[in-house]
Amino acid sequence: MTIRTRLTFWYAGILTASLLVIGFGTYREIDERLRHEHHREPEEHALAEAGEMIFQVGLPAIVLGLLGGWWLTRRALAPMTKLTDAVEKIHERNLREPLPRTGNNDELDRLTDVFNGMLARLDDSFNRTREFTLHASHELKTPLTVLCGETETALRDDSLAPAERERAASLLDELRRLTRIVDGLALLAKADAGQVALKLEPMRFDELVRDNFADAQILAEPHGIRVELTACEEITVRGDRHRLRQLLLNLADNAVKYNQLRGWVTMSLRRAGDAAELTIANSGPGIPPEILPRVFDRFYRGDPAHSQAVDGCGLGLSIVQWIVSAHKGSVKIESMPGISTTVTVRLPLGANR
Amino acid sequence: MRVLVVEDEKKTASFVRKALQAEGFAVDVCHDGDEALAAARATPFDGIVLDIMLPGRDGLSVLRQLRERKNATPVLLLSARGEVNERVEGLNAGADDYLPKPFELAELVARVRALTRRSGENKSTVLRVADLTLDTVTHRAQRDGADIELTAREYRLLEFLMHSPGRLCGRMMILEKVWDYDFDPGTNLVDVYIRRLREKIDANFQPKLLHTVRGSGYLLKEAP
Repeated sequence: MTIRTRLTFWYAGILTASLLVIGFGTYREIDERLRHEHHREPEEHALAEAGEMIFQVGLPAIVLGLLGGWWLTRRALAPMTKLTDAVEKIHERNLREPLPRTGNNDELDRLTDVFNGMLARLDDSFNRTREFTLHASHELKTPLTVLCGETETALRDDSLAPAERERAASLLDELRRLTRIVDGLALLAKADAGQVALKLEPMRFDELVRDNFADAQILAEPHGIRVELTACEEITVRGDRHRLRQLLLNLADNAVKYNQLRGWVTMSLRRAGDAAELTIANSGPGIPPEILPRVFDRFYRGDPAHSQAVDGCGLGLSIVQWIVSAHKGSVKIESMPGISTTVTVRLPLGANR
Repeated sequence: MRVLVVEDEKKTASFVRKALQAEGFAVDVCHDGDEALAAARATPFDGIVLDIMLPGRDGLSVLRQLRERKNATPVLLLSARGEVNERVEGLNAGADDYLPKPFELAELVARVRALTRRSGENKSTVLRVADLTLDTVTHRAQRDGADIELTAREYRLLEFLMHSPGRLCGRMMILEKVWDYDFDPGTNLVDVYIRRLREKIDANFQPKLLHTVRGSGYLLKEAP
C-alpha cells in the first residue's frame, strides 16, 4: 500500500470520526432542545433530524475531504516520486550528476542533500579504483617491456644451450600472456574512465562476420571442430571496425576453446526487428546456471579446474561486453550444461543514418 | 643504415640498441627530446625510433619539430599508453609507424627494417624465394613449377613474408598487416595459418622454406 493511499485512508478515518463527534453533539443538542420545547418527544425524531443533517452536510464534507486529501498527499509526495525516479537512474557512470532539489528547504531537500553527498563519496571511491587500475596497468608496461626485451635478447644468443633456450622461450610465452592481461586491463580501465574513443562509421557487419567465420574455421580445424555459418544476412551497422572484429574474434575463439574434441560451432547473423542479431553457439561443456550471471566479470573463472586447461587472459568476455555496450547493443549467454552454449549479440542497425 | 633510438628508459634503450645492432644497423641513442632533436639535425639518419613519453620535450613534439623543418626521416613511435587516438595523433603528426609498449623485440626490428627500406625496393611483380614464386598481379603461387592453391588470407600472408625474405616477421606485425588487427587477440591464429601455409609450400618439397623462430616470429628463407 502506498503512502498516498494510507494517508488518504487515515485522513478519511479522522474526518469520519470528527463527523461522528459533531453528529453526536448535534443529536444531543437537538434532543435537548426537543425535550425542552415538547416535553419528552420520542428520541427517534432527534435521531432522524441529526442523521439528516449529517447526511446533508457531512457526506459532501467527507467526499470533499477525501478528494482534497488525495490531492494534498499527491502534492506533498510529488518531490518524493521525482526523487525516486532520479535515484532509480543512478549507476556507476552518472554518479556525478546531482539529484534535483525541490528548493523548498524541506525534509525532502535534506534527504536529497544527504543522497548527493553519498553519491559524491561513491563517485570518488569509484574513480580512485579506476585510476588505480589505469595507473597500475601503465606502470606495469615499462618493466614488462624490459623483461620481454631482455628475454628475447637472450633467445637470440646462439651460444645458449638448448635447455636454457627452452626455459627462456617458455618464460617469454608467460610474459606475453602477462602482456595480454595488462593490455586488456588497460583497455578496460580506459573504457571505464571514458577515455576510449570509438571511430563509428557505417559498415557491412555481414562482411566482418564472414571474415571471422573463415578465421574460426581455421582455429577449429586442429581440434576437429566443425564450424557452420547458417545465416548471414546483408546488414549495415554503425560501428568501430577494429573493435567489432575484436568482438567477433573473441567470441569465435571462446567457442572453439571451450568446446569438445570433434564438437561443433554454429554462427548466424540475422535481422531481428531494429537490430542485427549475431548468435554463436557451440557444443561446449556448457556453463552451470550459478556461474552464468558472472561470466562477464573480469578475471572470473567459474571452474578452477577448467581455467588451468584453457589458455586465456580472463578478460575476453569483459572486453566483449564493453564493446557491445559501447555500440549501444546487448549481449547474453544461455547455456545448457553438457549440451551447448549460445552467445547472442544484438547491435542497433545503422543503415540510412 | 644508421638509426637513432630516443628512449629515456635506459634498459629498454639498451636492448633495442643491441637488437638493432645485431641486425646490422648503426645505432645512436638519446635519452631526451631536445638531445634527439639536436642529433637528428646534425646527422642524417635512415630512421628514428621515438618514445612518446620523454622528459622535457615529448616525442610528439620532437616529431612535429622535425616535420616542420622538412626532415622526412622515417619515424617509428613507441608508446606505453597505446591508445587508439594516440596512434592516429602520431600518424597525423607525421610518424610512419606506431608500436605500443610492451612490444616484441622482433616486432620492433622488423618495423625499423620496413621503415628504412622504403626506397630502392625490388619493384618486380614476381616475388621469389628459392624455387617458390609469387606473382603479385595474377596472385599465382608456384613452387618448383607446380601451382599452389591459396585462399585469400594465405595469399596475403605469403606475400607479406615474401616481401622480406630471410628476415624475421613478428606475430603482431603479421596480425596488423595481414589481418588488419590493431590488438593482440591472444589466439594462435597466425600459428595455425603458418602451419597450413607450410603444408602447401613446404610439405612436398625440399628444402623447407618457412621457419618458426620460437618466441620471436616467422621467416621465409632457403637455408635453415
